[in-house]
Amino acid sequence: MSDFDIKNIAKLASINLSAEEQEKLTNDLSIILEHVQALSSLELDTNIEDVFIHPLEKELKLVEDIEIDSLTHEEALSNAPESKDGKFVVPPSME
Amino acid sequence: MELKNLSIRQLNNLFVDKKAKPSELYSDIFDASASSESLLHAHLSLFEEKNLENAKNSDKRFEKGESTGLLDGIPIAIKDNINIKGELTTCSSKMLSNYRSPYNATVIEKLNNENALYTGKTNLDEFAMGSSTENSAFGLTKNPWNTDYVPGGSSGGSAASVSARSSIGALGSDTGGSIRQPAAFCGLVGFKPTYGTVSRYGLIAFASSLDQIGPITKNVDDARIIYNAISGHDALDATSIDNNQTNIPFDKSAKIGVIKELMEDGISDESRNEVSKVLENLKKQGYQIKEVSLPLIKLSISIYYLIAPAECSANLARFDGVRYGLRVEGKTSYEMMQNTRAEGFGDEVKRRILLGTYALSAGYYDEYYGKALRARKKMIDEFSNIFNDVDYLISPTTPTAAFKAGEKTSNPLEMYMSDLCTIPANLAGLPAISIPTGLSKEKLPLGVQIMSKPLTDLSLLNFSEIIEKEVDFNTSPEGLEK
Repeated sequence: MSDFDIKNIAKLASINLSAEEQEKLTNDLSIILEHVQALSSLELDTNIEDVFIHPLEKELKLVEDIEIDSLTHEEALSNAPESKDGKFVVPPSME
Repeated sequence: MELKNLSIRQLNNLFVDKKAKPSELYSDIFDASASSESLLHAHLSLFEEKNLENAKNSDKRFEKGESTGLLDGIPIAIKDNINIKGELTTCSSKMLSNYRSPYNATVIEKLNNENALYTGKTNLDEFAMGSSTENSAFGLTKNPWNTDYVPGGSSGGSAASVSARSSIGALGSDTGGSIRQPAAFCGLVGFKPTYGTVSRYGLIAFASSLDQIGPITKNVDDARIIYNAISGHDALDATSIDNNQTNIPFDKSAKIGVIKELMEDGISDESRNEVSKVLENLKKQGYQIKEVSLPLIKLSISIYYLIAPAECSANLARFDGVRYGLRVEGKTSYEMMQNTRAEGFGDEVKRRILLGTYALSAGYYDEYYGKALRARKKMIDEFSNIFNDVDYLISPTTPTAAFKAGEKTSNPLEMYMSDLCTIPANLAGLPAISIPTGLSKEKLPLGVQIMSKPLTDLSLLNFSEIIEKEVDFNTSPEGLEK
């Protein structure tokens, strides 16, 4: 696990980690990743096309493209930490 | 006998015959939770006042002979990752501690159509990630059989609620055993249906290709009644399938397979003995039993802990402090997002998000996630082949009986191992049930798991009922009210 860079993974996952968390999680994840190495001994069909997105169905069922009732604007905003003029409010993207 | 100890069918008969009323049952149930809740912490919210009117409406329907079926007036507890409109759905996470759902999950719409009542929302491991209900941001739940022990997880609150008679049945969700394992630890029936037969719409997603809603109940018939009510195709869930059930034999012509790999190392003698006891009984009745081998089962934890975290890392990306849930301020949107997720998620959730992010990241996708998907496909093929030979597969539900609170929290891998027997059914989308069969030396319940091929849920329930009748397990925990 020499190339396991917890800071980079945390950045990709958008989670700030304390130094203590970084150390603990590096240790935990190394143990888990070592365990899953057991899969490397398997001879597997490498045709990724066969891989499914549903354990039972080859294709998912499509539904008619018809308009149905959905959440109102107000309902959709009802749990927002901050909203204004019917929109979500967020801090600026750049300082 | 107290109403709270009866089955759904027995209660319905009493209501129809006007020998009891749903509102009396409702009071009985809330008396039970009043005495047990401070000991167990099964619920995150209780709906006593809110549903009293509905209970009285059920009374009126029965009085007029206009009841809407078996679930009319039956109090059911709902795991707090399933949305009920207007109620909190916290997923036991700080991230959603104030989230009030603006819509009903499909299973709730279906239970509403039956006029079922709700007792409240039950505790769980945060976002359903865990096997002990110790990962809740709002405190752990205890096992009604012995409060030093965990109730299992992640649907531990649902199991504790039914076990303590604070509800007649409960809904849980099962991604790697989260219905069956707590049911086994609390001496109850836990049923994970065939993947896709119960809509996931309104269930807060953890790992979408594995999550499935199902019942936790005192007996198999109650599980069947709830399953019949909540199953069926739903256009709002793209993975929902038509519930076209196939009948397979459940009488003596049924062929039973015992999974060799789940009777070996890593499984306690006590868990193995429960299976042997059931097999002995089936043999006496004239059932054919053979040992079968599914070599990939030994790798199911490895497959699962790549696929489930990968899906979790994608599903939980939505919690970013913008549209709902917690927000922790930052100078920029990105900083706000990072701070929010650092503060809002607990340790286990962070661990799984990071593991999944790593497994999906550039350069590692094929080595981890891609390989796990192919191994999953191979495991499904193994199950398909076995089901050409046998109708039902029997194994322990859990490697051991319930463990003590705090015993496994410092070692994530050891905690993951407690799902060894239950994970394969999720990976293969199979229906699987846990039935309580006996007690350990410490007087804690043990269960036996039965699996069958996809879309044979009703036959599986019928077969399970035969075992249940022979075993005759008393599901009432002793000494709870002492």
